[in-house]
Amino acid sequence: MWLYLIRNYIYWYLRKVIKWFLRQTTKLCELQRICYAQPVGARRTLNVERSLRDSNRPQIRGLLTVLDARASDRSFYLGRSIQIPNAVSTITRVKRIDPCEYERFNNALGQCVNNIWSYMQLVEEIKTSAAIPYDCTNDVHEKSLLLLWDELMPNDRLENRVTKQWQDIGFQGDDPKTDFRGMGTLGLDNLVYFASKYTHLARCALSHSMHPIHGYAFAIVGINLTSMALGLVVDGSAKTHFYNKRNAPEYEDFNEFYCYLFWKFDKFWLDAKPKDLMEFAIHRKQFETIIRQELEKSDTVFLIDVPNDNTTDVLNR
Amino acid sequence: MLQGLLSMLKRLRSSPDKELRILLLGLDNAGKTTLMKKLASEDVSHITPTQGFNIKSVQADGMKLNVWDIGGQRKIRPYWRNYFEFTDILIYVVDSADRKRVDETGFELNELLNDDKLAGVPVLVYANKQDLALAAKASEIAQELNLHLIRDRPWQIQACSGIRGEGIKEGLEWISQNVKKK
Repeated sequence: MWLYLIRNYIYWYLRKVIKWFLRQTTKLCELQRICYAQPVGARRTLNVERSLRDSNRPQIRGLLTVLDARASDRSFYLGRSIQIPNAVSTITRVKRIDPCEYERFNNALGQCVNNIWSYMQLVEEIKTSAAIPYDCTNDVHEKSLLLLWDELMPNDRLENRVTKQWQDIGFQGDDPKTDFRGMGTLGLDNLVYFASKYTHLARCALSHSMHPIHGYAFAIVGINLTSMALGLVVDGSAKTHFYNKRNAPEYEDFNEFYCYLFWKFDKFWLDAKPKDLMEFAIHRKQFETIIRQELEKSDTVFLIDVPNDNTTDVLNR
Repeated sequence: MLQGLLSMLKRLRSSPDKELRILLLGLDNAGKTTLMKKLASEDVSHITPTQGFNIKSVQADGMKLNVWDIGGQRKIRPYWRNYFEFTDILIYVVDSADRKRVDETGFELNELLNDDKLAGVPVLVYANKQDLALAAKASEIAQELNLHLIRDRPWQIQACSGIRGEGIKEGLEWISQNVKKK
């Protein structure tokens, strides 16, 4: 405990001294040094985030509180055109940035601010979506579920809304609604997105999942992967991937992230040749470890790099 | 004196919590994983369907419980048998609000009770999801499952709500009493 406090104090003090020294010698503040020295992407954004969070200036702290509140009530995306310039101008004022540097610095900083708080808002959005239970009386939910069937099984008509056929695509029982209990509409959105955007890949995975020995339950595994994806984004591990993408993260980017995980997991499972599907928990854990290791590398960005018959523009994105 | 010391050592050695292997079974969506997580005092707001199985060691009521939570979907049920050996207690979980599948859950329980590998293993039935308005009472479930016909082992039915954490402790108390009797 004491050691911890002393270490923190030393760290805080040293940081101050080093920052002062660098400011005097380079005439640049820490944020500028980060933005100029590091290329666009996760490393720059993560360092800017850390630097802002460590700041003791009341104006910066106030600014962060406001932005955090916007992200958590999910009004950051919409207000970006005002909030980002405001944030940038507050920071440049407080840090007394040389006006000649504005153009170069402000763009870089604005991009980081956009990424940091869009990600935070994304966390709120997916948590909200996971908390909405699947509702049979909701037309949107029902249509979405039927679309999932049509995309995956174009040659088989669903005989009934409640039917054993659902087990063909890996639900547990005759009515998929109960399987969505833990991940809510997020689980459904993810599956439907995978099946309609990467139809070819999804159907390949589905056919692998039907293998008599090395198969798995497509939909259930899919919902478990939603849970994994949610965990990775909420605990911040997925920041590298999202900060390395060109655009500020939005809900659709979470769907893309999910599709990548599904596509990779399917390959991982096939290569592992498990004895039966009772080995799922072990392989899921190993798979998550591999993904986490990838996300620790600062240049990681997950892309599905095989053609998908369904859409030819996947690779050009 | 030496004898006293020896017996004291013996007592010390045997008292560290009894280790029990508990098998948690039931249809899909009965609430097995939620019950297990609740036993371990973990968060139960985001439980996903169990593909395969989960294991957890839990300290409760002076016992060390090694809980095996096996998925309940039809596809997985044939694998249940692989986990029967050395089972001390069978916990069978029923979704009390799922009236449509009463027969199915009764059938699966019967299969378990008739299996040689589980002969004589005490069975605790949790009538789960009592928090739902449509839930059947524990006594109704007991009747529908014909529990009164069980003669070859101790059994108990316990109403509970995994989500709210109600009734679980009472079930555990029954377990600890019935293990001592053995």
